[in-house]
Amino acid sequence: MRDEPLSNWDQTAMKTDQMDQLDQRLIHALEIAPEPRVPTDFAARVASLLPARRPVSLTPTYYGRYAMIASMVILLAALLLLAPHTTDRSAFGLTLQWLLCAQFIGLAVWLSARRHGES
Amino acid sequence: MDTDLSFEHLVRDHQAMVFRTLLRLTGSREHVDDLAQDVFLRLYRALPSFRGEALITTYLYRIAVNVAQDEWKRRRREDRSHVSLSDETSCWEERLEHPDRNAEQQIEEREFQQTVEEQLLLLSQIERTVLVLYHQEERTYEEIAHVLSLPIGTVRTHLHRGRKKLREAILERQNNERRASCETNR
Repeated sequence: MRDEPLSNWDQTAMKTDQMDQLDQRLIHALEIAPEPRVPTDFAARVASLLPARRPVSLTPTYYGRYAMIASMVILLAALLLLAPHTTDRSAFGLTLQWLLCAQFIGLAVWLSARRHGES
Repeated sequence: MDTDLSFEHLVRDHQAMVFRTLLRLTGSREHVDDLAQDVFLRLYRALPSFRGEALITTYLYRIAVNVAQDEWKRRRREDRSHVSLSDETSCWEERLEHPDRNAEQQIEEREFQQTVEEQLLLLSQIERTVLVLYHQEERTYEEIAHVLSLPIGTVRTHLHRGRKKLREAILERQNNERRASCETNR
C-alpha cells in the first residue's frame, strides 16, 4: 500500500488542498496592513498649511438707519399732503392720519433710542 | 481658528488609515508624508461641496486613490524605479513574528509576504486598489464601487481577477525556485 503510486483522484485532491492552502495564505498576507510611521506633528502641520479664510469685514454699515430716515421723510411728506384734507373730518381720513402719525412717532422714538444706546 | 482645530482633529482621526492605504497603493514609504498631506488638503478644499451623502471615510478613500493614481503617473513620467516596501528597513513584516513558531516558518512567512507585496505592485492599478480596499481596509463591494465609481459587478470581477493573477504569479515563482534548487542539488 505504501509503495502504491498515487491515483489520479488522489493527485487532484492533493492539488486542490494545496491551492486552498495557498489561497488562505494569500488572503492572510493581503489582510496584514502595513504599520505606517505617522509623524507626531502631522495633524498640526496639515492644519498650519490650510489656506487662510477670507477676512470678515468689520466696517459697520448703516443701511437700516438710512432706511428708517427715508421712511420718516416719506411719512412726513404723506402727513403734510393729507393735512389740508382733514377739514372734511371723514372717519377714513382721520384713521389714516392717526396711523401715519403713530408710525412717525414710533420711528422717531426708535431712532433716538438707538442713537442714545450707541453714544 | 475653530475650523482649523476641528480639521486638525479630523486629520488625527483618519491619518493612520490614509497613510496605510497610500503605503500599500504606492508600494513605497517615499513621499508618503507629502501624499497624505495632499489628501487632507484636497479634502479641506472639497469640504464646502461635501453634501454629507457619503461618509467622510468614503470621501477620503476616493481622494487617497486619486492621489495614488497621480503618484503612479508621476513615477511613470519620471521613469524612476520605485523602492519596494520590502527593500526598506520596515518593521511591519516583523508583525508576523510569533513566539510559538520556529525561525524557519517565520522566514518562510516573511518571504511569502514579500512575494505578495512584489506581485501586488505588478497588478494593474485598479486591481491593486480593489484588493487593498477589500482585504486590507475591509470595505464592502458597495463601498468600493462608490469610491471607484464602478458598478459592483466590475468590482467583483477585478477582485477575482486580481487574486487569480496573484495566485498564478506566486505559483510560478515557487515552481521556478523549486526547479532552481533541484538543479543546484544535482
